[in-house]
Order: sequence, then C-alpha cells, then structure tokens
Amino acid sequence: MQRSKASVSVEVKQVIGALCRLLAASGLDSVPAPETFRRAKFSGGPEVAGQFWKLLATILQRTGIVFSEDSSQLKGDLEHRKLVAAGLWQTGYRADWMCGREAGEDEEGKSLSSRDLLLALGWLLAKGTLEKLLTQRVQQLDKTLLTSLPVNTQVSHELQLDLTSLRRLQWLVGYLRHQRRILLSMIEERAQLLHAVLSAGLPSAVSSSSDYSSKALQDDCVCMRHLCDLLETYLNWKQVEKVFWTWMDSVVDCHLTEPVVKTSVHTPHVCHHQELDDMLSRLPTAQKGPRRCREDNEDRRGERLQDGMDTSSLLCRPSQAYRVRLQVERPVSDHISTAKRLHDSTKAPDTFPASQAAQLLLKTEALLLERRDRQRQANRMQLQEMIGELEGLVLIPP
Amino acid sequence: MSVVTVQLGQCGNQVAHQLFDTVCSDAQDGQRKTYCTASTERFFRRSSQGDLVARAVLIDMEPKVINHCMNEAAHSGRWSYGDTSHFSQKQGSGNNWANGYCVHGPRHKEVVEELVRREVERCDRLAGLMAMMSVAGGTGSGVGTFVTQGLRDIYPKSFILNHLTWPYETGEVIVQNYNSMLTLAHLYQLSDAILVHENDTVHRICSQLLNIKHISFSDINKLIAHQLGSVLQPALTADSHGGYSRNPLGELVCALACHPEYKLLSVCTIPQMPSASIAYSTFSWPALLKHLRQMLISNSKMEEGIDWQARPPAASERSRSLTGANTSLANLLILRGKDVYSAETGGFEDPGLYTPWLSSGEALNLWKSPVPFNKYEKSATVVSNSRALLRPLDHMVRKAWNMFASRAYIHQYVKFGISEEDFLDSFTSLEQVISSYSQLC
Repeated sequence: MQRSKASVSVEVKQVIGALCRLLAASGLDSVPAPETFRRAKFSGGPEVAGQFWKLLATILQRTGIVFSEDSSQLKGDLEHRKLVAAGLWQTGYRADWMCGREAGEDEEGKSLSSRDLLLALGWLLAKGTLEKLLTQRVQQLDKTLLTSLPVNTQVSHELQLDLTSLRRLQWLVGYLRHQRRILLSMIEERAQLLHAVLSAGLPSAVSSSSDYSSKALQDDCVCMRHLCDLLETYLNWKQVEKVFWTWMDSVVDCHLTEPVVKTSVHTPHVCHHQELDDMLSRLPTAQKGPRRCREDNEDRRGERLQDGMDTSSLLCRPSQAYRVRLQVERPVSDHISTAKRLHDSTKAPDTFPASQAAQLLLKTEALLLERRDRQRQANRMQLQEMIGELEGLVLIPP
Repeated sequence: MSVVTVQLGQCGNQVAHQLFDTVCSDAQDGQRKTYCTASTERFFRRSSQGDLVARAVLIDMEPKVINHCMNEAAHSGRWSYGDTSHFSQKQGSGNNWANGYCVHGPRHKEVVEELVRREVERCDRLAGLMAMMSVAGGTGSGVGTFVTQGLRDIYPKSFILNHLTWPYETGEVIVQNYNSMLTLAHLYQLSDAILVHENDTVHRICSQLLNIKHISFSDINKLIAHQLGSVLQPALTADSHGGYSRNPLGELVCALACHPEYKLLSVCTIPQMPSASIAYSTFSWPALLKHLRQMLISNSKMEEGIDWQARPPAASERSRSLTGANTSLANLLILRGKDVYSAETGGFEDPGLYTPWLSSGEALNLWKSPVPFNKYEKSATVVSNSRALLRPLDHMVRKAWNMFASRAYIHQYVKFGISEEDFLDSFTSLEQVISSYSQLC
C-alpha cells in the first residue's frame, strides 16, 4: 500500500512535469515546478500563490481573455490580482475569493490559498486553454499555415437563390478549384526548381543571396524543430492527462472538505457554481482512496451503511452534500428538505437559514459518526468470531 | 509543362499514335523555334541519344496494335515510343466493359500505374494526363475507365482529360451502347473534362469535305488527330502573358468545364479540305469565323450544309426553341495562322449564344497562335461545352435502356461482377447529365 502510494505520487509528479513542459513549450515563461503544484494542493505559502498568480495572469493574457498594456510590470499585486479575477470571471469561473475580496482586502491572505488558484488553473485547462495556447504557438512557428481569416459569412438577403444563380455559383466554385490546382502545381514546380538551383549552387562559391536564403532555411529548420518538440510534448501530455485530472480531483476534494465555517460566511456572495459543478462531474474518474476517508459523515452513506450495502459505487462521484455549500439558496434548501425527510426535521424548506443548516449537518455528522463506530464495532466482533472459528491460524503483525 | 498520354485499347492507341505524328510533323514543319520547343516539351522527351520519345503509355489487352504503333513510330524517323512504355496481354476483353473494368483492369493495375508513374516522373512539371480511348469496345472503355480511376487516386491534383471516340450509331459491336453508357457514367465522376469525337461526324467530314472515297480508320484517325492537335498545340492564352501557354489541360478545363454537371466537350474545326487543294485556296478570317460561328449555332460539325436559318435569340426573345440555335455553356476559340491578331471575334461574344448564368466574357475564351497549323495557312477551332452532344448521348442511353429493359446480354456483365444495380446507377447518372444539358438554355 505504502509503496503503491509512493509510486502514484511519483507518477503524478511526472505527469505534472509533462504539463509544465507543455506549458513552457507553448511559450509561457513563468511555469511553476511540479513540486509547486503539490505544495499548492496543500495551500502552500505565499510564494507558491505568487507563482500561480503569475501563471494565471500570463495564460489569461496570452489567450486574449484579458488585455493589459504593460503586461510585464503591473502596477501592484492588487492590480495584478484584480485582472486575473476579472479574466477568470470572463471564462465562467466563479469562486468565493473572487467575490469576497472586495469586502476586506486585508483578509485576502487568509481567505485565498494557492489551492484556489490551482483550481482556477484546472478550470482554464479544462476549458481548452491549453489547446488555444498550442494553436497560437503552432501558428507562430509554422508560417506556412493558413489561418482562416474572419470572413463575413452573412448572406445578403437580396441574393436570389434561383437556379440561375446557383449554377453560376457552382461554375465559379469549380473555376476556383481548378485555379487552386494550377497554383499548387506552380508552387510545386517552383519548389523543385529552387531545390535544383540550391543543390547546384551549394558546392560553388556561396553568394550573398543564397547565404540569405540559407539563413532563412536554417531559421525555418529551427522553427520546425520547435514545432515538432511542441507537438511531441502535447502528445506526451495527452497520453497521461487522465492521471492529472484524477489528481486534480483530489485537490477538489481537499478544497471541499476543509473550510466549513468560512463557507457559511461566504455563501451569500457566491453566485453561480452550476458550471463548475457540471465541469467537476465531467472530469475523469475520481480517486477513491482519499475520498473514502473524508466521506464518512455523508448522510446517504450512513443510510447505505445501515442497510449493510456496498457503498463503493457511491463514492466515485462527488456527492450532493458536498456541493451544497457551493450552490445558491434553493439547492441548499433542496438538500435540506432531503435531510428533513431523513431526519424528521420540522422546518419549512423555503426559509431554512444557513446557521440551522450547519447545525443540522453537525447533528447528522454526529449521528453518522456514531453509526460508523457502531458498525466498526460490529465488524470487529464479526471478524473475531471468524478468526475464532479458524483453528491453528496464526496472525503475525506486519 | 508536359502532358502524359495514356493510350488505351485499339482505338485509343491508333488515335494517339496519329496525334503524336501530327503534332510532331506540325512542330518541325516551320522555322518557328519557340513554337517547336514548346510543342516538343509538351508531348515528347529526349532519349539518351537525343531522339524524341513520346510521353505516352500504351496499353492494350492484345499485342497487335501496340506493336504496329511502335514500329510505325520508329520508322517515321522523327519520333518513337519509349521501349518499355507499353503493356499488352495475349487476350482481349471481348468487347465487354465488365471484363475490362472488373477483370483486366484490377489484374494489371500495378504494372500500368507503374508505367504511368515512370512517365510522369520524367516530366519537369506535369500539366496533366490525357487518357485516350473508345467507348464501344471492352479494353478502351473498361480498362480505360479503371485506369482513369486509378490515376485520379494517384494524381488527385492533376488535370485528367479523357478523349473518347464514340462509335457509329450502327456500329459493329452489339453491346456498344452498354459499354458507352457504363464508360461515360463512370468517367463523369472521375475526369475533369471529356472531349468527344463521334465516328459518324468524322466519317461525314472525311467523305464530304476531304472527298475520300474509301474511308479507312486511318483517315478517321488523321482527322481526329488534326482537330485534337489544333486544340493541344501551343497557343497564346489570356493567362500565358505573351508566351506560349504552359498549362494546356488546366487552361482548357478552366475555360470550359468548371461545372461538375457539364463536362462534355465537342470540337469543330475550319477549314478542312483535301491536302491537295490547300495550296490553291485562300482563306480570310472574317469568312472562316462567320462559318465557324454558324457551325456552332446550327450544331453542324462541318461547313457544308450549314443551316443558315439558325440564329441565336435576340435579347428580347426568351424562347430558343423557335430559333433552333445551339446553346453553349462555354466556348474556347482557337485561332492559328497568318494575321491572327487582326481576326475579329466579336461574333462569338454574342450573349445569345450562351446561358444567362454566365456572361459572354466568362463563357468565351480565346487562344491564338501566329504559327499556321498543319499546313493550313489559317485555321480556327472551337471547343464547345454545349448541347451539341445532347442528341447523340440521348440516343445512346435510349438504345441501351431498350436493351436493358429486355435484359439483353446482361448476364455477360453480371458474370464479371457488374450487377443490374450498377447498370441502373449508370443510367441514373447519365439521365442527370442529359437533363442538365437539356436545361441549358
């Protein structure tokens, strides 16, 4: 168990390394080390957060989500962070710290951890930012690529869509196709001739023009090599991406279990988390291990345990109970109404205050803990009975 | 820019051989060095001894015609075929399209494609491929279609022109209409343009204009080669910027066959007369062009017996049926000879000649060459994408359909793998072509 855990963490580190290499190859200059990601998961110190602020800011600027005139030297940290928050907001990301910061800026250090930033990064990656960066970089490297120009695709309403214009259009399209073929063959011929001239000219004295073109060729060659490296890095990343998302899932778990009290304070500020929730539910299979240890207080699990049913299937997805605090009033009360049914609460569902909800949850937790202990006890008894039946069996402690 | 010719079957080999002969003697006739160089580069390569070798691949399922062609060319002393550029078998396709398309074609695919590839690699730049064949028999039509299909796959960007010889309406092959129909239907999807010569028309020209008493295939082939040569020899085009055009097939296709439903091209040439009379005749551009224009309008392929009553509708008239005039989608007018730049071609710009959906500026293209072609002091050719071939095509499909309705000879095709379903598909696609050309007005 210990060893496999270690090998998993090594693998995760490698995978994050692949991501970092890809980010760096995509032209980002401030990519944190894989170790920094790990520290961010456990809300590492301010220097970790600082690196992620920088990374997020660069990504948002590169992808054109935010625009800042002097990207290199932002006036201050605050300015910087506001920009990132705005950019994330535009991509559809909503988090407590984005809303809460305005209330008290001093509080910011406490309320915002580097894990929040890591989650935001995860969001950006899941939204396809990586591919956007990649495309940009590829276009930079390969100048022969034709980028699709923004074309006005609006068809004039006055256009007569009768047979005559249709046939005319078909004719003209055919004409363009033929012209394209002619141009292609001309380019091919030109390339052949150039090749012949160059290969004939190389052994002889090198003129200035061929010197120039050979420099251009060398530049092209370097670009192509970069391009190949970039695509290879992307390929490597794609092959192990799943591991990253599993790890990211564990980050989400950490995030969701930790600050219960703070949440109730911030809930009124939080607006829409639906998108994030959808996102989370779409992520690849979650890690089971870490979640098992923190989901003991979940009510449904309690129910299942009572019934003596296997709960492993339930544990695969983040449960409603943990996302409750991320949602608006209504879903919260929805959940509570479920809880009410379960625990005979008498409160009206629509006017259920958060403090009472917390209380109820605490009560539920206590109940579930009690149940768990009972179950544990029963299990232990059962195990001892079973061992008692096996004669001549010796158990050696590890 | 060079054209690689693929000669398929008996007819294709004979016509192509004649074409090379015509082109070669025409190019070497005068003192025009540029013209000669351009023509030679287009159709020939130089062997290691410096002799002209046709850029051609000869394919037949019987060795006789190929051997004959190679010997004739070698004995001409002017040019020859490549020693290894031919492929033949001992047994023919038995006038069965299915035998050629389903059996011989696939069986010899690699060999044939390798021959073509070698010839293509010998071109500095490939202008396109020209497959020449008849549609009536089994090898030209069946193997030809299969080979064209393979070429389309290998050279998706290259222009492929198919030259087809249509059989006499009362031909000697009983299933010629089946073969023609299957060939045309398949080629319509593969080829960029299909240039057609009808044996009947060519025969009439030989008999009435050239005064040949006993018309042989050689006479017919010579005439076809003359008309083809007048199209394919170097000319100054709108895109060639003062030099001879380097892309004959591409420009031909661009000028005439941009619409996927209209690919059938017909040719008429003026003047055509016995070679003995040429020396005693005088030609004037206005007279030649006036005749050629009327030939185009009245849809007659020779200047004798032109219906002078046919006229294009004036702008006010919307109905063409009354005037009996042929409608063109696009025309390519090629003038060769003395004082070519003084020729007045305004008569071909009449919007009444064309469909309303293309302006006459787009529909008419003009190629010129100051070099007289094939001993004619002045000559004019029009390649036309028009309703000219509608009637013979309709005849062919109708006859084939009548036979198909009684399931005559179908089993001969089924046994090689062409099902009735395939027949029906081909009928459908040709009916579409007929309908498209019928709507051309």
